[in-house]
Amino acid sequence: MGLIAERDVQSLKRKFQEALTEDVRLAYFTQKESSLQLPGHECLACRETRELLDEVAGLSGKVHVEIYDFVANEDLAKQYKVDKIPATVFLGPAGGRLRFFGEPSGYEFATLVEDIIDVSRGATGLAEKTKKDLRTLTRPVHIQVFVTPT
Amino acid sequence: MARVAHQMAFDNPNITADVVEATEFPQLVQRYQVSAVPKTVINERIEIIGAVPEAQFLGEVMKTQAT
Repeated sequence: MGLIAERDVQSLKRKFQEALTEDVRLAYFTQKESSLQLPGHECLACRETRELLDEVAGLSGKVHVEIYDFVANEDLAKQYKVDKIPATVFLGPAGGRLRFFGEPSGYEFATLVEDIIDVSRGATGLAEKTKKDLRTLTRPVHIQVFVTPT
Repeated sequence: MARVAHQMAFDNPNITADVVEATEFPQLVQRYQVSAVPKTVINERIEIIGAVPEAQFLGEVMKTQAT
């Protein structure tokens, strides 16, 4: 029994089959999975997030998940400004700018699925007016959206 | 909010958008005083509570570009 319900697996496979064009690469930053956790360094959602991403990668040959250790791959984590885990980062045309901190489950699972489709197709469905205004944006912007799974 | 934030980041390389699972990062919840979700924080200073239409979200993002 996976984290994604069987009926959803079939519909998501079809959805990806129809919608994905280019390959999508996700970097997942986690920590070593062991039963022994140092106090203050627990990553309770790390294992489940990895399992979820494995299942997502299993939905399409075009979705690739690269797994990195937050400590051992410190340089890469720094490159993508990953300062906490679990972290899921879109690579390729997304340039590491689309990120999830924590498990993208519940409501955010839909966000992950739609993001994968956007990145694969190289286009978003934002309004033309929004896209036009965004073209004038030249200074760095950091957006953090706090969410809960339900 | 999460979805539009990611779309904006995809469409403009100057934007980075993080979706943060609040229950997993209590220290950030405290730091940004997140008492309801979604809560959006732009460049550490602009806050949007709740879900707002795309145009309004864009307006808040564009405020960061003013001198």
